[in-house]
Amino acid sequence: MSSCKWLSRAWNQFFFTGFSGESLGLLRMYIGCGLLFFHTWQFATVLSLNPFGSMYYFLEPIWYFKVLGIQYHIPILSFITYVVLMAATVTMILGKWTRASILVVILCIFYLKGVRDSFSGDVHHRYIIPMQILFLFLLSKCGEVHSRDASQHQFASVQEWEASWPIKTMQLYIALFYFWSVIAKVRVSGWVWFAGEGRIQEVLIKRSVRWGVTGEGELVKNSLSFELAQHPELIQIFSHMVLVFELGFPLILFIKSVKLRAFFLAGVITFHISTFVLMDVNFLLIPFVYLIFFDLVPIHQWLKTRAWPSFRRRPSIAG
Amino acid sequence: MSRRTVNVIIVLYLIVVWAAVIFRIDRFPLTWVPMYSVYEPSETISAKVWDNNKYGKGILVTHRDGTTSYVSSKDLNIPKPNFRRLYYSRIFGSAPPKHKQGNTELGTMNRWVRGLDEDEPNFSVDWEWRMFWTLNKTLRHEPSDQKFIVQMEADYQRRIYRKADLLKGNISKVEIQTRKALMEWNDKWLPRWEHEQL
Repeated sequence: MSSCKWLSRAWNQFFFTGFSGESLGLLRMYIGCGLLFFHTWQFATVLSLNPFGSMYYFLEPIWYFKVLGIQYHIPILSFITYVVLMAATVTMILGKWTRASILVVILCIFYLKGVRDSFSGDVHHRYIIPMQILFLFLLSKCGEVHSRDASQHQFASVQEWEASWPIKTMQLYIALFYFWSVIAKVRVSGWVWFAGEGRIQEVLIKRSVRWGVTGEGELVKNSLSFELAQHPELIQIFSHMVLVFELGFPLILFIKSVKLRAFFLAGVITFHISTFVLMDVNFLLIPFVYLIFFDLVPIHQWLKTRAWPSFRRRPSIAG
Repeated sequence: MSRRTVNVIIVLYLIVVWAAVIFRIDRFPLTWVPMYSVYEPSETISAKVWDNNKYGKGILVTHRDGTTSYVSSKDLNIPKPNFRRLYYSRIFGSAPPKHKQGNTELGTMNRWVRGLDEDEPNFSVDWEWRMFWTLNKTLRHEPSDQKFIVQMEADYQRRIYRKADLLKGNISKVEIQTRKALMEWNDKWLPRWEHEQL
């Protein structure tokens, strides 16, 4: 009985406290701004195509394209979808028709990601976290604060529990995402994945050699990766660091100190930058989602009262 | 939404995301395997070398009338990185990494859930048929056309390093191999073509 009560108290404490309606509204705005860059980065290859060129028949359509019977690509439709996606992201940031905008963003991502991943059958995981965040925004009251909708309608103030649960669920998902990564590695490959002469070394070699070798035997690109691959003892240290940070990621949910949390996330960002530079693993922009681990009210206040005015006061070139 | 409803939503959400992990569901927006997970220990590391000129030119194809030409990323109107995967992997019958992850160490429970026999893969795609389907359909060639593609060819170079040599810093000791792929159209695929069965 007492353990039940304790569990209920811990559940309520975790999911229903910690954030205000203002935090939720600001998070919607800042995550939306991050998404503007993320969408462009992710779908740039699709936008490089000829909008009136050939209609490509997908080699391996993604699962929902198979269900819907979508077999080929209509290039101009991807361009239109991208424009709609960006417009819906902007209205989501502004908080205009917020829920409908989020729904449109989700549908456009489904379509464009489906197209990109169906060309050759390689399904990427970069949109999984943003999609979970958008889904939780959709269920939340994020459009009732810091929004055009709020200035036009009279909403009741958003309670702490109403603002906290979507943010805390997002945090929990991200923590689990990294934690599952260890489970998957051990499940499929065993602990040998983390060995100095394991998977990391293999990827370093593959990704550095693939750009080719000059007549003198020098690598065209990524020579640093190749150099690192020759030091399994160093790789072993890095892989243990990866193991510790992925396994320990859920601990961030219990870190109260903002500085400590920022320090931990800075480490994770360094990890993503390193894997991008050394191994071409394209999770470079994903750290924008880590904003969910912070209360944005003081940060927004600082930007509004200090950073923005001082930026505006700078003498212009014309002046 | 009441607090009780929110509790139900959170519980359902957690059940769904954890079920994806337990039952190894990797269908967007759910996943059990966020990063590169498959590793098979080996004495050597084999690395493909991309040749811009070669894959830029495209896949060498033979038409039904015996003529040859190249099919490039521009002809298909697909991004270069995706075309690279066709050229260096699919034409060689190699599946995407996600398929390998889905097939490796599936476990008794997940085989049972999917009704798979012991050696039956979770993902299996007939890449040969798919390549002919994709290229011919995109270029609007029907099986009766003289320009229908009946053969595809690609080749690349790979460098094979022995881990023991790498450890000694001896990177000059490398074995260079050339891999060639040759795919040929099979008339047994005609019913699939007619019924558009992928």
